[in-house]
Amino acid sequence: MILLEINNRIIEDSLTLKFNNAAAGNKPEAIDVTIADFDGVLYHLSNPGGDKTKVQVSISLKFYKDLQEHGADQLIKREYGSFLTTPESGYNVSIAFDLDHLPANRDEVIKKAGLLKRNCFASVFEKYFEFQQREENSQKRAVIHYREDETMYVEAKKDRVTVIFSTVFKDDDDIVIGKVFMQEFKEGRRQFQQAPQVLFSHKEPPMELQNTNAKVGDNIGYITFVLFPRHTSPAARDNTINLIHTLRDYLHYHIKCSKAYIHSRMRAKTSDFLKVLNRARPEPKNVEKKTFSGKTFKMN
Amino acid sequence: MSTTLQPYLKAVRQTLTAAICVENFSSQVVERHNKPEVEVRTSKELLLTPVTISRNDKEKVLIEGSINSLRISIAIKQADEIEKILCHKFMRFMMMRAENFIILRRKPVEGYDISFLVTNFHTEQMFKHKLVDFIIHFMEEIDKEISEMKLAVNSRARISAEEFLKRF
Repeated sequence: MILLEINNRIIEDSLTLKFNNAAAGNKPEAIDVTIADFDGVLYHLSNPGGDKTKVQVSISLKFYKDLQEHGADQLIKREYGSFLTTPESGYNVSIAFDLDHLPANRDEVIKKAGLLKRNCFASVFEKYFEFQQREENSQKRAVIHYREDETMYVEAKKDRVTVIFSTVFKDDDDIVIGKVFMQEFKEGRRQFQQAPQVLFSHKEPPMELQNTNAKVGDNIGYITFVLFPRHTSPAARDNTINLIHTLRDYLHYHIKCSKAYIHSRMRAKTSDFLKVLNRARPEPKNVEKKTFSGKTFKMN
Repeated sequence: MSTTLQPYLKAVRQTLTAAICVENFSSQVVERHNKPEVEVRTSKELLLTPVTISRNDKEKVLIEGSINSLRISIAIKQADEIEKILCHKFMRFMMMRAENFIILRRKPVEGYDISFLVTNFHTEQMFKHKLVDFIIHFMEEIDKEISEMKLAVNSRARISAEEFLKRF
C-alpha cells in the first residue's frame, strides 16, 4: 500500500451494508458511529431523529471556515445536491439518505459519500485552477490551517498554480528522513516529465511567502508544488486534486513506515548479536554419575 | 578504503586477546568490595596504558585495560546525516537492552558511540577467544547493517516519490 486512499472505506462499507440491507427488504437497524480521518476530520453516521429508515453522514472539519471562504458550500451543493440537509450540531456538512427510497445509482452515491472530505478540499483548488485557466493572477492567497501547526497556501498566476504546505516534524530524526524523501521528490521530474515541480525548504519559508508571517523554526519544513496548465486543465483537474490534498499525510505515513521498518531490523540484528554472544558460553556439561551402590546423581 | 579493514580488525583482535587477561582482584580501597578497576580508576598501579587503534580519524577503537576488567569503546563511521541518526538509534536500542547483552555498557565513553565492559567474572563464565570473536563480528556487522538501513530508507523514498509523481 504505497499510495493513501482518498475515500473513506468505513463510510463506504457502512453505507453499502445499510443499502443492501434495505434493498433486500430487511428491517433497518440503528447506526451511530463516529469515525476519525486524517487532519482531525470527524465523521458521524447516525439516524436523524431516531428514524431508522434514514441514515445521515456528517463531517466536521476544524478549518471549514477557511474552506467556506473559497466556495466550499457551492461545491458541496453541486456534488450532493438532493442529499444535503441542515448540518448536524457540531458538524459542518450533513447528507442524509432515505433507505425507503434508495437512489437508483447506489454505488455511485456511496462512492461520493466516501469522498466527502476530498470534496470539501476540492473547492479551494478548483477556484484557483479556474484563475489559472483564465490566465488571471489571483489577487489573494488562500490560507487553510488544515492542522494545528500546519498551513496550506494556494496561489494562482497566469501560467501556474503554486501550492505550499507547511509541515511540522515532531521528532528530530523525522527531519532527516523527511529530507531524504523530499530530495527524491525534487528529482522526480528527471524521470517523469509530466510531474509538477517540487521544492523543499527547511526551517524558513520559501521566497513566495517571504513577507507573510509564516512560521519559522528548526522542525518546520515547506513543500512547494508548482502545478502547470497540464495539471490544472479541466481534464486533469480531479486527478490533481486527489493527489495533492493528502500529500502531507502521505509523507508522514511513509516516514513512520520507514521508522517502523528500521526498528524491526534493529530488533532482528540485536537478537542476532545475542546469539553470537551466547556462543561464547561453554555448553553446560550434564554429566550423570553413578555410585557403586547404584545411586545416580547429576553433576552441574 | 576497504583494504584497511582487515589489518584494522586484525590489530584490534591481537590487542584484545592480549588485554583480556583479567583476574579476580578485590577492591583495595573498600573492604569486601569487588569493583571493575577500569571504571573506578582509584589506584593508578592497577591500570594499564590505554591503546587507541584508528582506521581514520572517524573510525577508532579505544581499549583500556586493568587488572580485573577491560573497557572497549568503538567509534563507528558516520558519513552523513542519515547514517548519524541510524547509528544513534541503533546504539540506543542496544544499550537499552544492555542487561541481556551482559558485556555492554549502558553509556558510551565520551567521544565514542558504544562501549563494552568485560570483567573477570565474564571471562570466568565465557570463552575469552569467543568474546574477542564477538567484538570483531560486531564491528563488521554494524557497518553493514547501517549501510543496509540507509539503502532501505533511500529506496523507500525513491519508490514513494515515483508512485506519487507518475500519476500526474
